[in-house]
Amino acid sequence: MKRSKNLLKYSVNCVQRYKLRTLVILITLGIAAASFSSVAFLSDGLVKEGALSLKYAPDLTVQGISSGRQSLISTRYVSSIALVPGVRWVSQRIWGYGNIGDTLVVVVGIDLDNSITTNQTKVLLGNSVVDQAPAFPLESGQFLDVQSRNSIVIGKGVAELLGADVGTVLSVLTESNVIRQYNVIGIFNSESSIYSADMILMNLESAREFFSVPEDKVTDLMVYLDSEDDSTTVSLSNVIARQISETPNCRILTKDVLLRAQEKTYSERSGFFSIVWYVILIAVAIVAFNQTVVVGHESKFEVGLLKALGFSTSDIIQVRVYESLMLGGLAGAVGILSGVVFDSILGAPILRDYMLGWANLYPGFPTPVFISLQTVLFTFAVTVLPLLFATIIPSWLNATVDPDIAMRGARA
Amino acid sequence: MIETVNLTKIYNRGKKHQVEAVTDANITAESGAITIFVGPSGCGKTTLMSMIGQLLTPTRGEVLIDKENLTSYSDGSKAVFRRKNIGFVFQHINLLPNLNALENVLTPLLCHDVDPEKYKDNAVSLLSQLGLSDRAYFKVEQLSGGQQQRVAVARALVTEPKIIVADEPLTFVDDASAKTITDFFEQIKDEGKTVLISTHATNLAKLGDKTYVINCGNVVDSY
Repeated sequence: MKRSKNLLKYSVNCVQRYKLRTLVILITLGIAAASFSSVAFLSDGLVKEGALSLKYAPDLTVQGISSGRQSLISTRYVSSIALVPGVRWVSQRIWGYGNIGDTLVVVVGIDLDNSITTNQTKVLLGNSVVDQAPAFPLESGQFLDVQSRNSIVIGKGVAELLGADVGTVLSVLTESNVIRQYNVIGIFNSESSIYSADMILMNLESAREFFSVPEDKVTDLMVYLDSEDDSTTVSLSNVIARQISETPNCRILTKDVLLRAQEKTYSERSGFFSIVWYVILIAVAIVAFNQTVVVGHESKFEVGLLKALGFSTSDIIQVRVYESLMLGGLAGAVGILSGVVFDSILGAPILRDYMLGWANLYPGFPTPVFISLQTVLFTFAVTVLPLLFATIIPSWLNATVDPDIAMRGARA
Repeated sequence: MIETVNLTKIYNRGKKHQVEAVTDANITAESGAITIFVGPSGCGKTTLMSMIGQLLTPTRGEVLIDKENLTSYSDGSKAVFRRKNIGFVFQHINLLPNLNALENVLTPLLCHDVDPEKYKDNAVSLLSQLGLSDRAYFKVEQLSGGQQQRVAVARALVTEPKIIVADEPLTFVDDASAKTITDFFEQIKDEGKTVLISTHATNLAKLGDKTYVINCGNVVDSY
């Protein structure tokens, strides 16, 4: 125990003594860890944010398709889809973009009618307000209803950005460059920052007017299934999707597909940075190896001397392991801390734009950062292990030769 | 007692520039005595000392210390033997830079299961005996060559080994330091330690209870 403490103390001394090597390794490894962790935290944050945004999403989204592109879908599909066994509720949605001053917002018209008419019979399909409300929990004011003409409920991020409150009248520029005025009746604060940051809600008829959508069309149909269980939902949604897909000119997106598409997008973008990070990491390993083998004559001499003074090969390795753990750990910690500061405090400049997509203009959207234990541990592992590898092997090679040879070789 | 039997070292064996540094050396060093090795530069003194001190593996032959054949020891066992029994003083001094004199003296204790702090007084006492009481906290770079070699002597003794192997200990030291070191070797011999010294210096050679003359890797005389 005392010996291990002595060797640890000696390792600290080595880290202080070989200043150039320490500095080079700390800087290069720190940069590598910082770049990796900042990308990973942001990527994890985006994936988590994406998952949250889909938490209350419909099990299936049905869109119209024309010449291979998304188009408005006819409302006559509502009744046929609603009658497919397993479907609990079909909701219509009209959405698009609008401008409030210089701020681009997502305008969503939600279906607040809880019934459909099929074959002249009115069928109750569920409580639509209750079904949709959890996605947009109100912080103040009230939610929309079917009669809420010229009324909107806005996300908390939008309210903060515009300085709006319940009772404020907002002028929203339509895609046709027409200004319409809406009374803010409520402010919601969703679990998903994406929703709260740039979304305003209005009832379906208001949205139809806003986007000039014909009476028999909507942007998409949201289909909710009866199943409560996630695994059953996936299999049921696939069965129902097949049935719906027989309907002409429409396509079906399952929640699972949307989630996977999001994960794929962000992981591919972070993958690009990972390649850069691997290059840096290889450079670090080469630097460490070079420092120990080529530049490390001093170190070689030291190994010979320590062995002459009674240190065994395992003692030498132990010293180098401590050194590597200290350097790698310190560089990892500095890198992770830098990553956190870069993402959370500085808002990940450039990186955020790349990860979100250059074309996306999110107003005041807080950078989604998720610091998982897994990512932290992985960052430490990849900063410490290459250094251990690059340091221990040359040290072991030096330590296995006779001390006299090691000292003479270093001096030559 | 230290004995060597046909101790031989060949560098670059089988290669173009093969060098037979020591050939069939048979020497005996009595316990509690000073044994001197003299000879011209490059005659194989350092190689012989290194083999006796288990710093260099012989090509053939044996090293026996108190009848124990160390040649067959593993690398780890040799390290343990050195740790417990041998203190080295090197020709090139070999102190660790950026450490002060006291830290250098305490370095061999780091691989022992002891608290070096408890040996501080002993280390300071050794430095005082070598005339360095006011230099204990000086960095190596702040010490003269003679002072550095005296620190190295103190380092060799801090673990209280029974054997001291000193290779050309006076090469880079001034006369005053040489006298201090010479007197010190005499003192530790009187304490019962076995001292092996290789040297050119006549004042050191005079200390020897036994002297071996080396030339071209061979022991050519002893007295």
